[in-house]
Amino acid sequence: MKKIFERFSPEQIREGFLISVIIIVVLIFSSLIPDYFNARFVNRLSTSIAIIGVLAVAQTQVFLTRNFDLSLGSIVGVTAYLLGQQLWWHPEIPPLVAVMLAIGIGMVMGAINGLIIAYGRVPSLITTIGTLAIYRSFLVEYSNAVPITTNNLPDWIVNLNQLSLFTINGFEFRVLFGVMLLVGIIFHLLLKYHRFGRRLYAIGSNPDAARMAGFNDRRIVFLAFLISGGLGGLAGFMYLTRFGNIMVLAGIGLEFSAIAAAVVGGVSNSGGSGTIIGALLGSLLIDLLENSLFRTVAVSEFWRDAILGMLILLAVAIDHVVIGRLRLIWARVGFKMETEESQAQVEGADHGK
Amino acid sequence: MINTEEKRPILVLEDIFKSYNGAKALNGACFDLRKGEVHALVGENGAGKSTLIKIIMGVVQADSGKMILDGEEIKINNPQEAQNHGIAAIYQEPMVFPDLNVAENIFISHANRGAIMHWNQLYKDAADILSKLDVKLNVRMPARGLTLAAQQAVEIAKAISLNVRILIMDEPTSSLSAHEVDQLFKLVRSLRDRGVSILFIGHRLEEVLDLADRVTVFRDGCWISTKNKDEVKIEEVIHDMVGRDVDDFFVKEDHQRGQLLMSVKDLCRENAFQNIAFDVYRGEVLGFAGLIGSRRTDVGLALFGIAPANSGKVILKGKELTIRSPQQALREGIAYASEDRRQLGLIMPMSVSANITLPLLKQYQNSFGIVKRKDEAQTAISFRDRLEIHLQSIQDSVMRLSGGNQQKVMISKWLNTSPEILILDEPTRGVDVGAKAEVHRMINDLTARGIAVILISSDLPEVLAMSDRVLVMREGRQMGIFEKVDADQEKIMSAAMGQNNVVAEVA
Repeated sequence: MKKIFERFSPEQIREGFLISVIIIVVLIFSSLIPDYFNARFVNRLSTSIAIIGVLAVAQTQVFLTRNFDLSLGSIVGVTAYLLGQQLWWHPEIPPLVAVMLAIGIGMVMGAINGLIIAYGRVPSLITTIGTLAIYRSFLVEYSNAVPITTNNLPDWIVNLNQLSLFTINGFEFRVLFGVMLLVGIIFHLLLKYHRFGRRLYAIGSNPDAARMAGFNDRRIVFLAFLISGGLGGLAGFMYLTRFGNIMVLAGIGLEFSAIAAAVVGGVSNSGGSGTIIGALLGSLLIDLLENSLFRTVAVSEFWRDAILGMLILLAVAIDHVVIGRLRLIWARVGFKMETEESQAQVEGADHGK
Repeated sequence: MINTEEKRPILVLEDIFKSYNGAKALNGACFDLRKGEVHALVGENGAGKSTLIKIIMGVVQADSGKMILDGEEIKINNPQEAQNHGIAAIYQEPMVFPDLNVAENIFISHANRGAIMHWNQLYKDAADILSKLDVKLNVRMPARGLTLAAQQAVEIAKAISLNVRILIMDEPTSSLSAHEVDQLFKLVRSLRDRGVSILFIGHRLEEVLDLADRVTVFRDGCWISTKNKDEVKIEEVIHDMVGRDVDDFFVKEDHQRGQLLMSVKDLCRENAFQNIAFDVYRGEVLGFAGLIGSRRTDVGLALFGIAPANSGKVILKGKELTIRSPQQALREGIAYASEDRRQLGLIMPMSVSANITLPLLKQYQNSFGIVKRKDEAQTAISFRDRLEIHLQSIQDSVMRLSGGNQQKVMISKWLNTSPEILILDEPTRGVDVGAKAEVHRMINDLTARGIAVILISSDLPEVLAMSDRVLVMREGRQMGIFEKVDADQEKIMSAAMGQNNVVAEVA
């Protein structure tokens, strides 16, 4: 047991734990539902996870700075609608431009959040509850209750959802899932190896010290929300390709799925700790449960939410009790090691973050 | 030893004025720092030391005055600019990032390491710096588990990594044990020998005089005196600080020891302390001495029921008690004033009067549960007068008071519960000389009324001077109880450090 603590950081132990929970969930549902783990289910799941995964990445980097972005669902809805409308009116827009447009629309909304929070010093919880409603109301007013439908959209965007890079035994590796993986890898590297990522951790870990260290904390928080908006825009694009029919309620509640995914994945809402890998595993677990419960006739829709809620509470409780203790043990074990040992480790192995 | 080249001042501040909302913090203050010296700055709370640091670090800007670095007049607008000039500060509370590892903490402010993290290089550089400082830490561990002393070592490593020329240390020793202070001072001296100029702020004068090459005293935002190490005397420094002779510095009035009030027998708490046994009499001060980690505070917390003891007896006025909660302790007449004013003692944004009446709020409400503000105000005013709390209005929020006055508000709060035993945990930590004397006067006043005081303090001269008897603890064990006549600093220190086997002489 002690060996495990020395080899792996608490974050890695948690990720391992999440993977085993995911496997257990799959095994349980396989025994409950005949033909549970079929290709159709997995393929559909992968596009659904793609959207939540991107939003979880967005939420994670905002969480790291001790903030929330509750407006993500509205950003997804507004972007999906505005982009759909543009593609309806101008079907000739090339796909890449459409993606950039979506990210740009999202960034505008993210920038509004960021300005109010970082420069206006309004708490993010209040700000994004406000913008959650404002962006949604804008959509209601602007759309005039005219929905976007698949018939109005160019073919490529409707088909993109089903498009896969390659297929093995009917299990498709879909483009949207690939996009999520790409976003995950980029942000994993950004948080681990780029100065900006490290500063996100620093600000959430000790805001006063960050200011004393000479960071421009406002700009960093602003950037986190700007990026969150951009990723929300990207998710809006994915939402449009997945559903095609966009009404005023599009994307509602997605912000909570994103929060749930991040929290279950071990991203701390008091800032400073959490990983992209964890957040993506959290998305996987949440979405897997949601979709699996949907197929379980015995569980009513109302209980589905309750089960998800309990999962979040459980994750937070584990975080406080178990992981907190692991961290202390890990720190103690670590500090007992002599300097020479740590020197040797520095030369050799990879690092433990 | 010091040649003329080194005597040249590297940083000079002239005629600095600064006021906050009309209240003058600095009133034409002057200060100079030479290359490769430790220059101590002392003064009571509110003398303007912190403001001076904030101006040097660019956290706030002076209203007027000159700052000259290396012969050139400069303006520093934010901490980043101070850093670019080679100036760094270490604060009372180390500013580490608990979630980042040691190496990252050391290099967090480096803008020139590029945008991409090279982890292996980072760990190697960090280990190099720490080994230069002779500090043993695993650079890959998150800073979360570090002791305060280790955190400070990390901060010093950070400063060195930035090649600072000027290092400001704001009361770095206030939470360290004697041994840790020695290590810190060794670090500071080695920095000085490398040509770093150090501005050191401290409250424990013996320590400061031991370390500093020069000592400057500030009072009321003005420069009062600067003296070289060889010509400075502690009495003069105190005189300069308070502007009057403090002849009542550590004065203990002797009172007749009253009857036995409380007996504690074989008190134990798992993983904290074992077999603590002592008697407390009315009108006496029982001192608790020991190093950091001696678990004195845990005994206090156990007696007040916050972290109850697992076994042992507490006999209060002939009645055997098992104290399980603070409510119960208060009912029995035991009060505990915490060492941590900010976290455990006071509710900072609330008014002075509301803080004082908080534990007894039930007595200050009418039958509808509405707080009787007149009664509350009356109580607050009576304590203001009795303890000489300096404040504009009892409706002021506590955070606007100075440290010493906050301490008095906290003590008022517990006195208002009319305790028979008052446990004071580090009542003078971070409090200036004048306020310290007033706290001591108050202790005298309490014991004269027959209250028993248990005084937990890391300030050894204070414990010795104020106590009738001193109980010494070391790592959760009771090393002995000394009568005032037998006790001196060496005896207590050697007991506290476990250097010889002092058998408990229970009086």
